[in-house]
Amino acid sequence: MTRRETPSIVEQEAEILAHEAHPGEQYVLRLRAPDVASQARPGQFVHLRCGPCLPLRRPLSIQRTDPREGWIELLYKRVGAGTAALAEQPVGGRLPLLGPIGVPFRPDPRRPRVLLLGGGVGIPPMIFAAQWLRGRTPWKPLALLGSEVPFPFTPRPSRSSVSGLDGTRAAMPLLEDWGIPSRLASRAGLPGCHAGYVTELAERWIAARGHAEDTQILACGPHAMLKAVAALACRHGLPCQVSLEEFMACAVGGCAGCVVRVETPLGPAMQRVCVDGPVFDARAVFGPCA
Amino acid sequence: MLLSGCVGFGREYTRVKGFSHAEVGAVCLKGTTLEPRLGNAPHRLCETPSGLLNAIGLQNPGVDRVVEEILPGLDPEEVHWIANVSGSTLEEYEAVTRRFDDTPVAAIEINISCPNVKEGGVAFGNDPDMSARVVEVCRRATNKPLITKLSPNQTDIAGNARRCIEAGTDALAVINTLMGMSVDLRTRTPVLGNDQGGLSGPAIKPVALLKVHQVHQVAGPLGIPIIGQGGIASARDALEFIVAGASAVGVGTALFYDPLICPKINRGILDYLEEQGIASVEALRGTLRTHAVQRCACG
Repeated sequence: MTRRETPSIVEQEAEILAHEAHPGEQYVLRLRAPDVASQARPGQFVHLRCGPCLPLRRPLSIQRTDPREGWIELLYKRVGAGTAALAEQPVGGRLPLLGPIGVPFRPDPRRPRVLLLGGGVGIPPMIFAAQWLRGRTPWKPLALLGSEVPFPFTPRPSRSSVSGLDGTRAAMPLLEDWGIPSRLASRAGLPGCHAGYVTELAERWIAARGHAEDTQILACGPHAMLKAVAALACRHGLPCQVSLEEFMACAVGGCAGCVVRVETPLGPAMQRVCVDGPVFDARAVFGPCA
Repeated sequence: MLLSGCVGFGREYTRVKGFSHAEVGAVCLKGTTLEPRLGNAPHRLCETPSGLLNAIGLQNPGVDRVVEEILPGLDPEEVHWIANVSGSTLEEYEAVTRRFDDTPVAAIEINISCPNVKEGGVAFGNDPDMSARVVEVCRRATNKPLITKLSPNQTDIAGNARRCIEAGTDALAVINTLMGMSVDLRTRTPVLGNDQGGLSGPAIKPVALLKVHQVHQVAGPLGIPIIGQGGIASARDALEFIVAGASAVGVGTALFYDPLICPKINRGILDYLEEQGIASVEALRGTLRTHAVQRCACG
């Protein structure tokens, strides 16, 4: 008997239940995918065929799931041919989907304060992490989300007080409704948002609390942001997991096309974002703390 | 068969529910070199119209780890596992082949057509003398069936095939990827970290079909089987390769489109044979009826 992996990835045709366009070429896509909805964990993604003329699939992070109703929700930005084709897909249509795929976030229960740092299209895994941590012991998440374009939701002034961050009121309504505090950052001058980076908000929060030994970071966003997040984690001695993206073909580990160079105890290695990630320890990707 | 470089070392696709190696005749493992290789820097992939450009760079753990740690986990009763040998020198090709000789692999494929390494690979495969010398040293190193994977990036693939047959190959894999490049207009740099890569997928199918037809003119009369490959994504594609002279066909990039595509291709082949009243794949092989034309390459 050939040694096997756990057969956890499902191939199915997923019906488009909703497909909303938002400013900044952003789209929220809801798909009927009961198996994925019931099995997926934050940080995992689906590999989606975007249209009949583009057979190679595109990896998209899962933003929310509803296992009871059997749907998953994705957020994507129209940036290339794949997402352009996807943006044209109508409600009621069907898209071939593979998922759930990848190593999820694995928060350390010894550090209940979880900073969820998301930037741009790196926001979805943070929403899913918030959904998963919500109401579970011992977690106390705080989401700090940044975007250079309008958020794909209408920000709302937060009703909750957050250490060091009460000068910034803009929050994400969904997270507020879930009882999870959040704050928004944007350098695009969006009202109520911090006019800067999410890492600046995180610094203020850590400084106001005066300690961080109960804190860890989960992050997803552009490479420059993740590099800054990794540096922040090093400055404060925080464990930090980052979710990466890379061009992908098979998404099951077969082609080694989506690699990232990481440091391992045995030396440098090229690891596959699809199945060795997409979640990696920040120090493996960005190097050990100086 | 499932093609080298698309299915890792045989375990990866078992992550997909419903996937079974029983749907294929053979699985060709990832290209293996004497020493471990990290492979190329990202990006390693880029989708192009009807195709996929890749430059993986033969990332592999080295032949010792493949033989000692990976092959023991593969059941030879499940499917024919084929090793894929790459190298930068004749000595490396010989050493890696020799290492696989005393293992359960069913055959050894010699990759003299990898476009994504600086030494060896396609540099050997585009030179008929070097191609023949690689086959000769590998032939001396093993009694297992040898498959030589030919490059389309050469002027006379049929002539090269003849030299490889004379040097002792038992079969030919036709074709490997076509060399290509993609440019990022925002940065004005090549998209691939290796600058250039190998093009696969439906875009190269017409090229591959012609190469199979040309190689079949040489290999057919000598009874040397051809594994046709290059853009096969449906039963019709597979059938065209068989008509052109392939004894078997390989699927690579299409697995990325649909990991469960092989049973669909198999079903389609059987349906066609039944519809046409053809007894077997063997009866269809090489039945292409070409037109009696005077060819002119002048446009």
